[in-house]
Amino acid sequence: MAGTAYEEFLELGEYHGRERREVLPQWIEAATRIGLNERDMEYAVKEFIPEMWDLQYLGVRKMIGAMTREAIDHTQLKEQRKRGVKLVYGIIPAILTPYQAVKKAGGDKVFVSFPDMCLMNFLQPLFHKGAPLFELAEQSGLTYGCRHCALNKLRIGLRLKDVVPAPDIQWSFGLVCDEATKVDEYINCIFDDKWFAVITRLPHDTCMAEVDDEIPERVAYLAAAFKDAYEEVQRITGVKVQDEHVAAALDDFQRYLGKTDVLIRLTAQADPQPLRGSELVNFCHPFSMPFNTGIEHMEDALDTMIEEVKVEIANGRGIYPKGAPKVGGYFIPYSIPWVDKVFMDNGVATSSSLSMIASAKQLIPPSGTDLYQNVAEQWLRMVFGMGCHVEISTWIEKVNRAKPDALLMGFFDYDRWLGQMHKMGAREVEKATGIPTFYIEADFFDDRDYSQEALRTRIESISQVIKMRKAAKERGVAGEQAVACEPGAA
Amino acid sequence: MDDVMREFAQLATDRPAELRKRKADGKKVVPYIGQFVPEELLHAAGVEPYLICRGGEPEPPEAVLDDMLRFLNPLARSMAGFYLMGLDPVMPLADLIVASQPECHVQRMAEYLELQGLPLFKVGVPQNWDKAYAGEYYFRELEQLKAKLEDLTCALVSDDSVREYIGYDNEINALLRRIDALRKTDSPPLGGYDFIHLNHYSFFVDPRVAIEKLTAIAVRLEAGQGKFVADCPRILLAGHAVAVGDYLVVKNLEDAGALIATEMMDEGLRWYRWDTEMDGDPLRNLWRAKYLDKVPVNIFQPAWRHRFEHMKALIAGYRIDGVVWYQLAYDEIYDMECTVITKWLRDLKVPLLKLETSYEYSREATGPLNTKVESFVESLRGGK
Ligand code: SF4
Repeated sequence: MAGTAYEEFLELGEYHGRERREVLPQWIEAATRIGLNERDMEYAVKEFIPEMWDLQYLGVRKMIGAMTREAIDHTQLKEQRKRGVKLVYGIIPAILTPYQAVKKAGGDKVFVSFPDMCLMNFLQPLFHKGAPLFELAEQSGLTYGCRHCALNKLRIGLRLKDVVPAPDIQWSFGLVCDEATKVDEYINCIFDDKWFAVITRLPHDTCMAEVDDEIPERVAYLAAAFKDAYEEVQRITGVKVQDEHVAAALDDFQRYLGKTDVLIRLTAQADPQPLRGSELVNFCHPFSMPFNTGIEHMEDALDTMIEEVKVEIANGRGIYPKGAPKVGGYFIPYSIPWVDKVFMDNGVATSSSLSMIASAKQLIPPSGTDLYQNVAEQWLRMVFGMGCHVEISTWIEKVNRAKPDALLMGFFDYDRWLGQMHKMGAREVEKATGIPTFYIEADFFDDRDYSQEALRTRIESISQVIKMRKAAKERGVAGEQAVACEPGAA
Repeated sequence: MDDVMREFAQLATDRPAELRKRKADGKKVVPYIGQFVPEELLHAAGVEPYLICRGGEPEPPEAVLDDMLRFLNPLARSMAGFYLMGLDPVMPLADLIVASQPECHVQRMAEYLELQGLPLFKVGVPQNWDKAYAGEYYFRELEQLKAKLEDLTCALVSDDSVREYIGYDNEINALLRRIDALRKTDSPPLGGYDFIHLNHYSFFVDPRVAIEKLTAIAVRLEAGQGKFVADCPRILLAGHAVAVGDYLVVKNLEDAGALIATEMMDEGLRWYRWDTEMDGDPLRNLWRAKYLDKVPVNIFQPAWRHRFEHMKALIAGYRIDGVVWYQLAYDEIYDMECTVITKWLRDLKVPLLKLETSYEYSREATGPLNTKVESFVESLRGGK
């Protein structure tokens, strides 16, 4: 049996017996480095995790274990560096194939990671404990009121706390917001002039009626930019990526994609729904960050989860009441899982995240054999990589596929690129699909300003409206006429 | 010089009315956003350009909140907001709006305008300017802009014509430099308030008229009396933009007894310190002048070390006592640069005051602002 809260946490992540005893000292050391103490551990294992996660599922527990393994690994970055391991970092969102191919080629000689994403995915959803690191960045000058991205704050905080040393090379996809790549310059200018980054950027400048991935010059430009950066990564690390490494990385991706697709579909179609929307997103982490420890632990968790969900469906069991309306979102805010919980308490199931659903266009294989060309096409087919006009039609396609009862927008107030779409785009999607959208001004990663107490009433009233609309629809009355609601209103 | 200044101001104010007439006469009206759009090229194409850079009023940035993120900077939201409120006299006349696209605030705002049905042409500006391929992207954008303008007017844009307008803009730059240099003297005849206005007027009149007016003003200023006391605190005003109409902070600084001796702004002021080559391919020259030759704008990467070197040169050249960092609310990248610059200035023992505007100039907002400004100016005076 587990004795301390640290051990209990490991148990909860499916570390048992000898393995648990072996991992324990590393875990205590790792937790301390990232600012977790015994009280945090107690809170996590006794209150937060049981409330926010469906621990009855082995798949969920294994997933927590896989994330823990990866987090522990990340707290060893300084030692890795001392041992001569080359550190390659990146940031979200990115196409992961090139990063994973470096890992496939370099093995233990290289540590490939998105440290901020990895530790955000660990600290917030499991411990609700990102704030001290955000605050560290704020004290350094990333002012609170300006609405900087908490993920970027975490990157700075982790560097300042000396958890994350300077990389040999950081390859930053600066293809969404402006702030992410500028954080590299910020760190370099005032904390660590060894922080070396190559950036890949492309202006968001397509006009109405232009489709990003169908503009050959745009694809070619981005491909050339990727090539330039990737060659730099290989030059600095001394790792030579061959076709077979790229193919192996792609294999992993395709296999994992197929499996998550099964889980997402099963969950979205099930009634009663057996899993929360935020948990679904957590299973998708291998699409947003490379796992230096490999994806096999996540994949094992995913396989288990799929089987468990099948059994639940077969037995007509779920975690929500039968008939509970489903709310989809751009991205269900898994970092602040209490949002899910409040919806759940109000009888509404969070389900599909639009960003996790592949569009028809994304399912078309890239047109060529050139890695860079393919990565460029892949990127430009993602909603992050498009102008708003194509993005709106892609959202509409995904919403029509997922058929949620309502859409939850907002939570990206700090992201000047993504956040704007949640207002401008949501209105268009609502017009086209008739599915009501609800905007909540909030922060996907950081809930200090938008606490559970502050948002509870808003979520409660949204839930009420969604339930009334669904009921009205089922009675065959047009929702819009039957209930007075304010779709899209803030 | 007040009468020339007034005439110049009046001409700038009359520009929208003039554009309506020109449009009725068959001319194409082409408002533009950001200085990566070469005004010279628009003039050379025979269209009527008009800089969209209006701010300083609280209602327009609020008016767009149904569709726009609150955390976009107030200048980007103002540009859209003035249009939405029916207060932009020129955008509704536009045959084409040319918008430079260096950063997300303006990129999303441009999309918003497109969704309103306005005809946009976007000039992409890659931020990683140290890469040759990125520079070529911007050059291709300029080529496409030229082609678009030729389409619009059904006439070719000749190199000679572009050169002619480069020449005018160089002359305007030279005149602004001449006027700006007066601020290096102990008791200059103008400060930042007037200088910024001159810049703004110069955007809204025919370049030949701007040259005529600026020449007259330069002559009068050179012969005129100093307006500032000899030992008043000398300030460098730095940041993203002083928009057309956003003069309150500038005025307060000088009303408090400081002299804005020079500026380092990415938008709202001409990039008058850098001329464009006249010989050779004029488009290539415009490209080089805007993308490579001048100090990088904040969003370029890497930029901040280069920009600080430039700032240091300004501090030395204009005998600056303190820097006022004038920031638009939620302008996240400028906010970060401010932190970096604050640290570096501290090492040089140059004080910095950070002011942030959301264009909310109610009595409640301006009270604390004035107090901040006055105590900063006072502390600079004490330190002299
Ligand atoms: S603002 Fe958005 S794109 Fe930028 S770093 Fe944060 S989450 Fe990523």
